[in-house]
Amino acid sequence: MLPRVTKETHMKRTRTIRIAAAAAALSLGLAGCAVEEGQQGGSDKLTVACGAMEEVCDAWTKAFQAKTGIPTSFVRLSSGETVARLGAAKASPEFDVWHGGPADGFGAAVEQDLIEKFVPEEAAKIPDKYKDPNGYWAGVYVGALGFCSNTKVLDELGLDVPDSWEDLLDPKLKSQVSTAHPSTSGTAFTTLWTQVTRLGSEDAGLDYMKKMHSNVLQYTKSGTAPGQVAGRGEVAVGLVFSHDCVLYKERGMTDLEVSFPKEGTGYEVGGVAVIKNARNMDAAKQYVNWALTAEAQNIGPTVGSYQVHTNPEAASDPRMVTLSDIKLVDYDFAKAAAAKKELTARFDAEIAAQPKE
Amino acid sequence: MSAGTVPAVIEPSAATLPTPAKRRRTSGRAGVDVSTVVVVSVVVLLLGLMIVYPLGMIFAQAFSQSGWEVVTSMFTSAVNRGIVANTLVLGTVVGALGTLLGFVLAYIQVMVDFRGKKIFHLICLLPVVSPPFAVATAIITLLGRRGIITYGIFGAQTNIYGLPGLTLVLVLSFFPVAYMTFKGMLENLDPALEEASENLGGSKWQTFWKVIIPMLVPGFAASFLLLFVEAIADLANPLVIGGDFTVLASRAFIAITGEYDTAAGSAYSLILLLPAVLVFVIQQYWVSRKSTISVTGKPAGQRRLLTNPSGRVPLLVFAGLVGLVIVGIYATVLIGAFVKILGVNNEFTLDNFRYVLSGIGNEAIIDTTVLALIATPIAGLLGMVIAWLVVRRLRHGSAWLDFLGMLGLAVPGTVVGIGYAIAFNQPLIIGNRMFLPALGGGAAILGGAAAIVMVYTIRSLPSGQRAGIAALRQIDPSIDEASASLGATGVTTFRTITLPLIRPAFLSGLIYAFARSMTTLSPIIFITTPETRIMTKQILAEVDAGRFGNAFAFCTLLLAIVVTVMGLLSLIVRGNPAGRNSVGAAQ
Repeated sequence: MLPRVTKETHMKRTRTIRIAAAAAALSLGLAGCAVEEGQQGGSDKLTVACGAMEEVCDAWTKAFQAKTGIPTSFVRLSSGETVARLGAAKASPEFDVWHGGPADGFGAAVEQDLIEKFVPEEAAKIPDKYKDPNGYWAGVYVGALGFCSNTKVLDELGLDVPDSWEDLLDPKLKSQVSTAHPSTSGTAFTTLWTQVTRLGSEDAGLDYMKKMHSNVLQYTKSGTAPGQVAGRGEVAVGLVFSHDCVLYKERGMTDLEVSFPKEGTGYEVGGVAVIKNARNMDAAKQYVNWALTAEAQNIGPTVGSYQVHTNPEAASDPRMVTLSDIKLVDYDFAKAAAAKKELTARFDAEIAAQPKE
Repeated sequence: MSAGTVPAVIEPSAATLPTPAKRRRTSGRAGVDVSTVVVVSVVVLLLGLMIVYPLGMIFAQAFSQSGWEVVTSMFTSAVNRGIVANTLVLGTVVGALGTLLGFVLAYIQVMVDFRGKKIFHLICLLPVVSPPFAVATAIITLLGRRGIITYGIFGAQTNIYGLPGLTLVLVLSFFPVAYMTFKGMLENLDPALEEASENLGGSKWQTFWKVIIPMLVPGFAASFLLLFVEAIADLANPLVIGGDFTVLASRAFIAITGEYDTAAGSAYSLILLLPAVLVFVIQQYWVSRKSTISVTGKPAGQRRLLTNPSGRVPLLVFAGLVGLVIVGIYATVLIGAFVKILGVNNEFTLDNFRYVLSGIGNEAIIDTTVLALIATPIAGLLGMVIAWLVVRRLRHGSAWLDFLGMLGLAVPGTVVGIGYAIAFNQPLIIGNRMFLPALGGGAAILGGAAAIVMVYTIRSLPSGQRAGIAALRQIDPSIDEASASLGATGVTTFRTITLPLIRPAFLSGLIYAFARSMTTLSPIIFITTPETRIMTKQILAEVDAGRFGNAFAFCTLLLAIVVTVMGLLSLIVRGNPAGRNSVGAAQ
């Protein structure tokens, strides 16, 4: 018996090697197709990375497609996700245009060389403070930071709707304020930088946040969550962009009320830009120019996006905040972006990690 | 390969009690034949493509300058040390409590006499389907500061955010894996063991501690490891209910999406791998020293159930309470789907379903279900094959293979997603030849669906793999050896002997794979395309837009789909009588 077994194993071994070799050859032969010329080239379709809410993304791309006939589709992504995805495949980006999402994301993308410099014709109409001085991106909407208060909870606490940053330090509001964490959310970083700007220095800004710390229930990860936490009545005041608060109220959280601090508040600018090495460069430029028009900006309020238009020709809506009625701080986006990393690290160490009194 | 690799000695399969590990070590693994070599190559190739390559691409970034700064800051920065500590605490607490809960419920299910076992089983399986946001939000709605129960009934303003809430959500979401593992193992225990113990004068209590528990050691180890890894890699729940309690997974997510720093995100994830590796190594060392064979192919008797009220009543009360909590949470999701905003505006409406069943919502439901259905059998089978290779076939490198299979789960989804974006969003071109077309992202073949199926597969295969390993360690290798000595190849043995024996583990692997695929969120964000709409992502968008009704409606539909598929899978896989009985009957 024994020799037969040995022979069999020997045969098996040769067969093993043969099979393995054949498999390897086959997989190489199948997979290793020669790269065809022009395969990496243009496309007649347009893909948009959209940083606004799903519905407005849908409405924007459909309207552009209807107007130009260029097949346009989108993926909804937060700005961090967009930068990460674009950074992952720089040479052959999957998107042609980036539409919506805060300016600091666009700043990070410019720094990583992901955005094509392009100043569309329509950009001439946009005020200078709402576009990139170097011409990489232009603003499509503006959102102002506000207090999103639950009037029912405020009534229980015997407080009025806050209209000053100092109001948030009231000991009666202990664990009754919700704000996001500045490293996770652009909204919360806007809050932090607003303090730095209005109080004159980083130390003074952090000092204010330190005082507010004991009144903060928790630092949420998402920038819009504080509005929902307030909407559910878990806290009295949430710090969010006012258009989100308006939306939540409209969607059923009827106790919510928007107010603004009289000392001045911060704001965000949502951008639009052409992606570097876009596969459909011509259509991308056409889209960016269109996104700045009054026609494109007027779509927002029809689908629940109540940010303020940057194009002065676009129609305003009663649900939007009138920027001339509130006080805005002099927000320096470039300076804010440069200070972000160090400032959020200080926030982590000096504030978030500290126990609440 | 010499003649020595063919099993030289076929031992009598008399040993049913724990036997010295040495015996299993020497003869436990059948000879390596051609089919095994081919299977190993294919599995390694698949894992290499789906896990090692994308993770390698991203971990390379952790060693860039900014990434390395983060790695070193783990030791220097108090904030980062705190995050590491939080992660370890969370993993240990969830691992221990989840394993314990799963064991107790499985023990009640198998060993205690009561009516309604089928219903109870379904309730225990329900949390397998926990769409991101749903369970956490339901708990916030029920038990939060303005919770329907805590505030509405007791008037207490409980703060559920942080470790307590997170533990509750994660234990509830993950214990079913432990439950299924223990249920399979307990059912496989030969009642003759218990009888023998009792005949020798052992009390029920002694039998429990000295006979049953030792036999379940691989189950405890497997569950703890899996739950630990799942808990520390979970992202959605720490984001929703974690509050100020930051863990490495959420820190990595923040680095990538909030700070635009992929390198730092990879570095945090690399650190996250260390505790996972550690637990893994401990588990390997601990379990390999014990043998817990209980399936020998010999006929088994009928189990006598626990009827003594002093044990039965407290156990059943506990089971009832847990069942009530689970039902309560899912009822909340269900009710939430039919009102405007649960707990805020409880007006009845059908608009939520009208919305999600039209347009994008409808596309998302179909796309997600189809892709998950493709990934499920791949993940289930791959998990079982890896388990079989690890326990039975491989002498060297079995620990490596086991670890490779687990990697897809041990790394936070965000990092897997970016790894996929880097690896697969452009074609792999070496020289002038394309070895792989772009598999993921907007410019990919099949609209980027291939990458999504791959992500689903690697995220869901580990649970099947662990269940398979635990189940196989219970089965006497002499059954395999008998098959081999009758001339069957390794693959034939696997198909005709092993697979039927581990059918319950295979089934739970499949169910879990499907449920997990349907509920995976974080890696998907980085590879969705306009052509592939994924439900979990739509849920997130609805929450963001403040339409909680729609989000709950999506979750309800997701639940309905998973439960339907679970039922169908049970019917298909359970088509024949259970494995042990058929082997027993054949004798």
